[in-house]
Amino acid sequence: MDRTLTKVDRRAFLRAAAGATASLPVLTRRASAQPKPTISYWNGLTGADGKIMDELIDQFTKDTGIRIEQQRIPWADLYAKLQVSVPAGQGPDLALIHTIEVPHFANDGVLEAIDESRATAKGFRADDYLPSTWQGGVYQGKRYALPLDVPQHLLYLNVKVMREAGLVGSDGKPKIPASRDELLAMAKQITKGDTFGFSIGTVNPGKYTWGFQNLLWQNGANVYAADLKRAALAEPAAIEVAEFWGAIHAQHKVALPANANCRDAFIAGKLGIWIAGSWNFTGLREAKVDFAVSPVPRLFKQPVVWSMPHQFTFPRPKAADNAKRDAAWAYMRWISDHVAEWTLKAGQVSALRKPHSDPRITGDPVLRTLLAQAPNWQGGQPTPKWVAAENLTRPVIESVYIGQKPAAAAMQDLARQINALPD
Amino acid sequence: MVRRGALTPYLFLAPGLALFVAFRVYPLLDGLRLSFTNARLGRAQYAFVGLANYERLLEDTRFHASLVNTAFYAVASTLPILAIPLLLAVALNRGIALRTFLRSAFFFPFTLSVVTVGLTWLWLLDPVVGPFNYYLKALGIPVRSWLADPTTAMWAIIVTSVWWVTGYYLVIYLAGLQDIPRELYEAAALDGAGGARAFWAITLPLLRPVFLFVFVTHVIGSFQIFGQVFILTQGGPGDATRTVVQHLYETAFQNFFLFGSASAMAWVLFALILVFSLLQFRLLRGHTQY
Repeated sequence: MDRTLTKVDRRAFLRAAAGATASLPVLTRRASAQPKPTISYWNGLTGADGKIMDELIDQFTKDTGIRIEQQRIPWADLYAKLQVSVPAGQGPDLALIHTIEVPHFANDGVLEAIDESRATAKGFRADDYLPSTWQGGVYQGKRYALPLDVPQHLLYLNVKVMREAGLVGSDGKPKIPASRDELLAMAKQITKGDTFGFSIGTVNPGKYTWGFQNLLWQNGANVYAADLKRAALAEPAAIEVAEFWGAIHAQHKVALPANANCRDAFIAGKLGIWIAGSWNFTGLREAKVDFAVSPVPRLFKQPVVWSMPHQFTFPRPKAADNAKRDAAWAYMRWISDHVAEWTLKAGQVSALRKPHSDPRITGDPVLRTLLAQAPNWQGGQPTPKWVAAENLTRPVIESVYIGQKPAAAAMQDLARQINALPD
Repeated sequence: MVRRGALTPYLFLAPGLALFVAFRVYPLLDGLRLSFTNARLGRAQYAFVGLANYERLLEDTRFHASLVNTAFYAVASTLPILAIPLLLAVALNRGIALRTFLRSAFFFPFTLSVVTVGLTWLWLLDPVVGPFNYYLKALGIPVRSWLADPTTAMWAIIVTSVWWVTGYYLVIYLAGLQDIPRELYEAAALDGAGGARAFWAITLPLLRPVFLFVFVTHVIGSFQIFGQVFILTQGGPGDATRTVVQHLYETAFQNFFLFGSASAMAWVLFALILVFSLLQFRLLRGHTQY
């Protein structure tokens, strides 16, 4: 009897064990039915802003359980990497790019179009954004990107250098140049030995295309004609800008050498008046430089300020993964809701209107100045050739800057090169 | 009938050969194919355009400038690359004090990557905060922006390259010097030859194979110079230091990802290197007789 009982028990046990083993994967699957996905996120935030983004991502992960693997790659390398990896199905789930990269990536099928109704459902509405930033995400009638913030130019004044040159008022504040002539006069007054009066650009000012574009736009000129087909750089307004570009260094010697690091020079007290990106100001504060800021002065016809919003994009995936896409949306929503933190820590003004009235932001003199520039913001032209044209521009304006080529001939040569770009 | 075991060497060679074919031969030939197309990186479709990419090179003034710059670099850097390591090697071959330390010290830069070397010299030569100009000024010597001046930028790159590779060629020269039989110097000394005479009559002629090796490897390397240019000047100021590979890189990876055009440039460069290599193989045919 004992043996029989034992036999029955063993069979029952084996059945139960087999059943339990068979159901184990099911149970395991159920237990982790909704695992939080990990998404890959590429951007070019390689400076102090990248670490701040890391901190915000950590906070996002704590809040939502979604993990983000952030890869910070220098912008130029990031774009080459996207161009190669996305067609191979190896792109990231989310990428932050400059507005002007949208047309060529959209044109080459690197970016996935974003359904406007889906964006609206996720809380991204045109009314919440500054119009130019919102429009920057659209190429040929389709949306490919959603804006985050607005890197832009700003005028920095080194108070110590200006004081030594006698260019501060009775209130101790540095004088602000109101015209091209005034700027040159002030720059000449500052320039002495290895201290320079004026520069535009963070590094390599000779080929700082973003600065050159800023001046072009101030003079009503542009890289392409309005039809976006032919280069407009051989027009008189563009040549006038190129002449000024050469004058500040080759002729008047008031600007830093073509390959100098303007940021280091400004911090070291060897540069007085500096037009450069808004992304520099947090670093200047950390370096405890005594500086003042002002809107980019009107050096030509219009007080245009170069700006280049960062945009969130979905690189085209090999196969759709709804969980990852939802996680990417969740992050974009979260960072948009926390964009005031991003502005305060990284110094980038939000593309969203709401944080602009945050007293912490309006109370900051630099952020206040950046916001005041908004009506004058201008960005690149929406053509897939813009970036290639910009790369061709670099060596040409540098040769003008160092006096190697006359402005008119250089601009005509540049226009010819740009027109030769294939479709 | 294949003799038993005759295939064995090929089996041993196969892995290496497979890698060589996959990573050298195939890309090379695919590059040739691409050079006849309008291929762009990241675009699936492309069309054959015949010789259009090669014809465009004839009109590409920046490519012409890059060829001239590359040739200038090759010619101007050859003499210092041949002479400086030789002089150091002769000095170090004499059993002077601290010989081992000095040999290591001279070799040290070559252990650094080109990026490290480039960034180091970029800082050294910085026109505003760089130590090079600081000390020149302290000595009362007029300074300039070495890398931003078209008359000095290429020379700055040459100095950087010489500093970087001197240690490598120094070791090659030392090996060559130690290969020269001592008896020749002893015989010369007995005949009354001094140090200088022995150098001209024995050392230099017997180092001929080493000279040729240094010359060949340096010229081929010169045609391919990229890292130093990319880090120090990116081809600037203007086009003053834009070399063929820098221009090729910009065409392929910056200016619209034009892989077809860039492949055509690569093949022109390949043809040039091939011609020089064949010429140098002819030079190498001679033997050194002791």
